[in-house]
Amino acid sequence: MSQPTTMERVGLYGGGALILIGTVGMGLLEIIAGAPHPVSGEGQVVHETLISLSVRSYTILLGLLLLAAYGVTNLVTKPPEDTSI
Amino acid sequence: MVTNIQTQLLGRDVSFPVEESRFGYWLVVLRLIVGWWFLHAGLDKFLAWPFDASWFVGGAAAQTSLGPVVTLFSDGILLSFTNIMVPLGQTLIGLGLIVGALTRLAAFFGAFLMTFFYFINGETGGWAHGVITGDLLGLLIFAMIATLGAGRVLGVDAYLAKTSFVRDHPRLRYFIG
Repeated sequence: MSQPTTMERVGLYGGGALILIGTVGMGLLEIIAGAPHPVSGEGQVVHETLISLSVRSYTILLGLLLLAAYGVTNLVTKPPEDTSI
Repeated sequence: MVTNIQTQLLGRDVSFPVEESRFGYWLVVLRLIVGWWFLHAGLDKFLAWPFDASWFVGGAAAQTSLGPVVTLFSDGILLSFTNIMVPLGQTLIGLGLIVGALTRLAAFFGAFLMTFFYFINGETGGWAHGVITGDLLGLLIFAMIATLGAGRVLGVDAYLAKTSFVRDHPRLRYFIG
């Protein structure tokens, strides 16, 4: 892969980072600083969250949108580098 | 045989070996299992026709982060479109993955559908089982299939890639492979 442009870096690294922040990062914060979260008899985690779940949702969604934008931009602007197929 | 992958990530040189036969084997296994998952989901809806997605795009989705987009499809002609395109899309995505035809295109639409399933199922369920759900893992597997171009391993795409039509239109390589 050739050096990614700045926009490609934003899409690839920014998108990946937001997804990781929304899943792993905020998950770790919940474990370290959040309320205890016992699992109920039905297997559901019952607790008040430190970070609103909708904030987590939107963070992950924004990450996915950035990755999608990276993919679409690649498709529109240049042919694939892989010429073996 | 082992191939050494050499690339750059976060500005650093990265190299790591990949054992080719296991790589090819695993791509086919992934493709077949995920393909059957979607083919089955699509055919199931056709076998139980008519399929009505209004409970999902109208009721369930309204309060979610994707609500403003999805509820546009909750009645009229756009609902009819959704009622046909969900089972048809799932069937075609499944078929595409199983036979390895237009694999990247199929995987893209698989990930597209999984995005809706992930957020709407997750948010309406209050993320009761955490934010890493089967829907997110499905989405990631579709992204992996598209990234790795799994259709070229024992798939129709290996043949399509050699056609003069694809050679004359290089961008089509984004859809196959």
